Amino acid sequence: MGMTGMKYAVGLVLAVMVAWTTQSFAADITLAPPTDVTVEDVPNDVGTQMLVKWKASLDELNDASGARALEGYAIFRIVAQTGDGLESIGEQAANASEIGFPANFEFGNIQPIGSVSYGRTEFVDENVEAGTSYLYAVAATGPGDTFSPLAVAGMAVTAQMEYFNEGKFWFLIIMLTISSVIIGFVWYAKRGGEIKVRPIAGLEAVSEAVGRATEMGKPVLFVPGILDINDIQTVAGITVLANVAKTAAQYDAQLKVPTARSLVMTTARETVEAAYLGEGRPDAYNEDNIYYLTDEQFGYTAGVQGVMVREQPAACFYMGAFYAESLILAETANSIGAIQVAGTAMPSQLPFFVAACDYTLIGEEFFAASAYLSNDPEQLGSLKGQDIGKIIAAGLLVVGCTLATLAVTIDTWRGGRIAKLYIEDNILGDEGLVPNEDKVRVIDADIAAELESLSQQPHGGGGDS
Amino acid sequence: MSQIDPEQIKVILATDCGSTTTKAILIEYIDGEYRQTQRGEAPTTVEKPFANVTAGVLNSVSEIGELAGRRLVDDDGHIISPATDSEGCDIYISTSSAGGGLQMMVAGVIAEMTAASAKRAALGAGSIVMDVIAANDGRRPHDQIQRIRDLRPDMILISGGTDGGTTDKVVQIAELVAPAKPQPRFGSSYEMPIIYAGNKEARDAISSVFNEEGFDLQIVDNLRPVLERENLGPARDKIHDIFLEHVMAQAPGYEQLMDWTGAPIMPTPGAVGDILQTVARLQGINVVGVDIGGATTDVFSVFDETFNRTVSANLGMSYSISNVCAEATMPNVLRWVPFDMDERELRNHVKNKMIRPTTIPQTREALMFEQAVAREALRLAYKQHKEFATTLKGVQQQRTVGDTFSQQTGGMTIVDNMKLNLLVASGGVLSHAPRMHQTAMLLIDAFEPEGVTMLAKDSIFMMPHLGVLASVHPKAAEQVFERDCLVYLGTCVCAKGTPKPGKICFKYELSGDCTESGEIGGGELKLIEMGMDDRATITLTPARGIDLGAGPGKKLEREVRGGTVGLILDGRGRPLVLPEDRAACQKTVQGWLDSLDVYAEEKEPVAV
Amino acid sequence: MAKAYTPGLLVTRHKKHRCIRRLPIEGDVKVAVGDRVVADDIVAETALPGDVNPINLSNMMSLPPKDVIDCMLKKEGDLIALDEPLAQSKGMFGMFRTIVHSRYEGTVETVSPVTGQVIIRGAPLPVQVRAYMGGEVVAVREHEGCEIEADVAYVQGIFGVGGETHGRIVMACDSHEQELTPDCISEDMTDAVIIGGARMTVAAIKKAQSVGAAAIISGGIDDQDLKNLLGYDLGVAITGREDLGITVIVTEGFGDIAMADRTFAMLKDYVGQDASVNGATQIRAGVMRPELIIPLAQVPADTHDRDSETGELAIGRTLRVIRDPWFGMIGEVSALPAEPHVLGSGSKARVLEVKFPSGETAIVPRANVELIWE
Repeated sequence: MGMTGMKYAVGLVLAVMVAWTTQSFAADITLAPPTDVTVEDVPNDVGTQMLVKWKASLDELNDASGARALEGYAIFRIVAQTGDGLESIGEQAANASEIGFPANFEFGNIQPIGSVSYGRTEFVDENVEAGTSYLYAVAATGPGDTFSPLAVAGMAVTAQMEYFNEGKFWFLIIMLTISSVIIGFVWYAKRGGEIKVRPIAGLEAVSEAVGRATEMGKPVLFVPGILDINDIQTVAGITVLANVAKTAAQYDAQLKVPTARSLVMTTARETVEAAYLGEGRPDAYNEDNIYYLTDEQFGYTAGVQGVMVREQPAACFYMGAFYAESLILAETANSIGAIQVAGTAMPSQLPFFVAACDYTLIGEEFFAASAYLSNDPEQLGSLKGQDIGKIIAAGLLVVGCTLATLAVTIDTWRGGRIAKLYIEDNILGDEGLVPNEDKVRVIDADIAAELESLSQQPHGGGGDS
Repeated sequence: MSQIDPEQIKVILATDCGSTTTKAILIEYIDGEYRQTQRGEAPTTVEKPFANVTAGVLNSVSEIGELAGRRLVDDDGHIISPATDSEGCDIYISTSSAGGGLQMMVAGVIAEMTAASAKRAALGAGSIVMDVIAANDGRRPHDQIQRIRDLRPDMILISGGTDGGTTDKVVQIAELVAPAKPQPRFGSSYEMPIIYAGNKEARDAISSVFNEEGFDLQIVDNLRPVLERENLGPARDKIHDIFLEHVMAQAPGYEQLMDWTGAPIMPTPGAVGDILQTVARLQGINVVGVDIGGATTDVFSVFDETFNRTVSANLGMSYSISNVCAEATMPNVLRWVPFDMDERELRNHVKNKMIRPTTIPQTREALMFEQAVAREALRLAYKQHKEFATTLKGVQQQRTVGDTFSQQTGGMTIVDNMKLNLLVASGGVLSHAPRMHQTAMLLIDAFEPEGVTMLAKDSIFMMPHLGVLASVHPKAAEQVFERDCLVYLGTCVCAKGTPKPGKICFKYELSGDCTESGEIGGGELKLIEMGMDDRATITLTPARGIDLGAGPGKKLEREVRGGTVGLILDGRGRPLVLPEDRAACQKTVQGWLDSLDVYAEEKEPVAV
Repeated sequence: MAKAYTPGLLVTRHKKHRCIRRLPIEGDVKVAVGDRVVADDIVAETALPGDVNPINLSNMMSLPPKDVIDCMLKKEGDLIALDEPLAQSKGMFGMFRTIVHSRYEGTVETVSPVTGQVIIRGAPLPVQVRAYMGGEVVAVREHEGCEIEADVAYVQGIFGVGGETHGRIVMACDSHEQELTPDCISEDMTDAVIIGGARMTVAAIKKAQSVGAAAIISGGIDDQDLKNLLGYDLGVAITGREDLGITVIVTEGFGDIAMADRTFAMLKDYVGQDASVNGATQIRAGVMRPELIIPLAQVPADTHDRDSETGELAIGRTLRVIRDPWFGMIGEVSALPAEPHVLGSGSKARVLEVKFPSGETAIVPRANVELIWE
């Protein structure tokens, strides 16, 4: 409330200042006023907006001289009634018994709440308070602060706060559907239901790669990308690292993790240590194998390459965000005969990894990895639920595209055009549940006109219908 | 053992000393080819009161002698060799699985890699693998040691590491085995044979670990020199040597038996594997063989010349029947039975069969139930086999960008039912079924062959004998295998895919010794009579999405042969799905049994 | 096969029984030939080497394996207590030394320079072998064990669970056809060998367990009851190592089946006597059946020693059918057709004709009967 009070205070000061400077220019009322001013509360909002509409001033329409007499419209309002009673904050309405614009309205004394240029016939007042009634008036403005007489709205309107935005009704339906599907699957998974996640070859191969390293007596190299821990790909990479470390602990293989960020190193150490502890092999964990190289992209790349060439790891994992170093790393490791598993969401680097590595986790797969690896019912359920959401979205896309295409091709097909309108405005837009009657009328008129023109063509009728 | 000239061999005597019976066969050279002429059997005499395996051998051989009118055993109780016109044999060979066969423990570094290769080597040599110790088998070291202590293997095979690969992990495994001091099954004077077939750079370290009393360390080439390649030959040969030198020598009477034989005694399953490999190689086909016994089920497969064998230790028809029911669960067994049975009573029947393993089903219902159990036992054994018979794991993959969405992992099964040409069955429940149709149906239901597959059974369990024979006289072995060993049941043509019930699954047209054409609907089974020597060309036109071997919906032409059952056309689809509902399932199964005439009135009874 | 070999279970009032008592590994034999022993006497004992526990020092101290040996505070063969320092790293200029404490108690067995592992062997586990059966020591195998012989009454069961035990015989049922239910078992049956009649229920076994009985023996048991007792479905009949605190033996089979009248009558005659019982069953080649042994104070006059009598089928012999549809029924051989017969199942097999007490006759495969010793 304080802020609003301030605003009014400032507005008042400004108004006084403007009034003082324009005092000398008494309103020269020559312009024709706009007519039929209507005001309605903007539906489906928190009650801070009003929509003011009017019919254009005659002067705008009759632009005979070439010089336009009309510059635009100014919108005025006064508070008719506040939510707390008949208290008014408007200057003119201090006298509460007399609600309305005074007959001797002085344009210079009150600042309009907004103005629009000519050609517009509506204005949205975004600065109202819910529960307060306002009376609006519109005047046409001309050059040199000339005003037409005020056209006052027929009645005061109260701004309403609505709990539901009916225009977003479809949004609610889709959200509820997807949420309930996710919750349903989580519940199903928790009750022991089986949720099948397609085997991800790259993750299945972890045990194979680590096993190979063990048999060959060589270390396992894990590269968690070159971005910091705040990047979601690095986080996903660390999830996979936990699994690799677990396998390495089981197989008693040596795991090396060079990092490009100090924070990633710390996280990786914690993760790997936890994995070794979980497997009951705390003695096999060696902190020194997880180390920081440099923040420099190519310094880091060269460092990792050096490790590869010197220690000849039998298995290399690249899990995280990669840039130009992807192919350099993958080719080097390929040349030393290592099994390589990569995972990244960098579209530009994926082709390199796919070509050079044994297994690659692609984008989504990489993020699904943690659900896949943990087998945690919550993660599995939401993974499955999200998939259903994607299927719904894809289905809507297909239906929408088909309808839109058909509606354009067969423009006399009423159902198609209305369905297209419904998808565009109601499902994807914010028209709510019921189609906009005006637009339907427009379509009907359009189709009627079309049909008429077709019937007038002597040969047109047969083929198209 | 003197050098053998195959040309001079006219009379061959072979025995297989099983755990309960010793079976002998006589092979003679008649009219330019080798034929099996007589057989005989007697109880095995390894245990008390006889405690000499040769007694059983002589009993079975005497039986053949009486039948053939040929004196094979002299007055001193020796087999007469070489042969004269009316006496003796040119060569005597034998296999053995008496006393539980050859029992081994194997160890490797990674369970799926070197340890799996070691297991393959041991199984291929015909042994029973009691346990596999690996660094990643999930057991704590002291549990592993406890396990090694509890087992009493005949020998231990240790592998691990590629050549130039890990040394310390292999030594670690050895350091588990040495202090555990595993005790051999026979006698305390026996030194535990250890075969080392791992990283060659770890040999010295291994030698020093086992450099103490009680161990007999033998070093052979690494069975996994690189992860991309297996080299099982040297380890397998060494297992055979030790089997003869150490294990057999400890068993009562074997020293004498070894003296008599003209070729090394082989473990029975190893010999079966050898004959299947020989046949697959000579005929260029893929073969699966199964031997279902009372306690265990052996599955052998040769796909693209790669041999695999698995032993499902607790899947069998008498000693292990209760375990089959427990593992497969009763509802899964009962889905093959087309009538209602009281489950409580049934469970007691199963346990009674377990404790009295020699009884035989007397009523048709009991037989149907026993064959239902057999289906599940075979299905589970084959599943285990598929999981074990895989491509090598830990191998680097070659990729192109085209593989982006179709990345395959290593270690995929090499068992492909579509590529299977011949399915050979042996073991009591299969070879002694009252009707051959039952055997054929059991094989199809349990193994779910796809495409065109020949079905056969081992007439009198002759494969072990022929396996040994193949090592001295391959020609004779192959001739007898083809003419006397296998009884062809016929050919089955099975559709892969999900055919719709009531719709056409595939069309067929036969020409040759049998001419017929028609359609097979989804879920339908059909039997076409084709005699033993009939051959025909079948042209198959599958419906959309149905694969008969040439790809989904693609037409193909194949040569088929008949048999004691005939040509079986199976439109039930693969994988085979039975209705969930008990009543619907009974109806469906009854329909299948009727269309193949599986339990019809007896025509040609077979002695049990 | 030439001979019809139809084995049966041995139930006899007298036989000379010899049992071999053997140590799992070499040890000391405590008895000499000629000694008389009772069931609880220790005849041999030894100590099994303790558990082996490896500790990977090279990882714990971040050292190459070959340097581990120089850091050891204990040498091979030294005793070490729990949490006692085992090794200490050299550190840097004598600073930052890491000390590794032992997580196990025992003896340092080896320190490997290849893997950097130290193996600590725990304290030896004592193993004692008892006589199990009262009798006379007739043979001693040095460091291995001994053989005990006695004149006994002997009952072979068909199946059992649980290991060796002994106790006095008490009868819980009045007739061999009475089901063994919990109310047959009374509190005073502690340490006893309880003899029931027909099927025993799992509740009865549990009750026997709770009163502390040594063993419970009856004609039959339901598979479901056995499963409830063990907690799992028994897959193969290799038993004897179950830890139930009671040994359970069935003499006839699974299901509702009465104990053979003769067995029941015989056991009734020995009420109050001490019996050794072993439930261990191994149905494989080299079959092992559960047994109940009653050492006899004096040898009965008119019975002959029966150990391995082989069964010859003859008309008039009493036998039991051991497979459905006549499972468990006892009858007499009334005909022995020589030719194989086609069974209902379609198989052809050698059969015999049985006459049941009701006067009914049936054709049964020879494989499906067992002889009952007279």
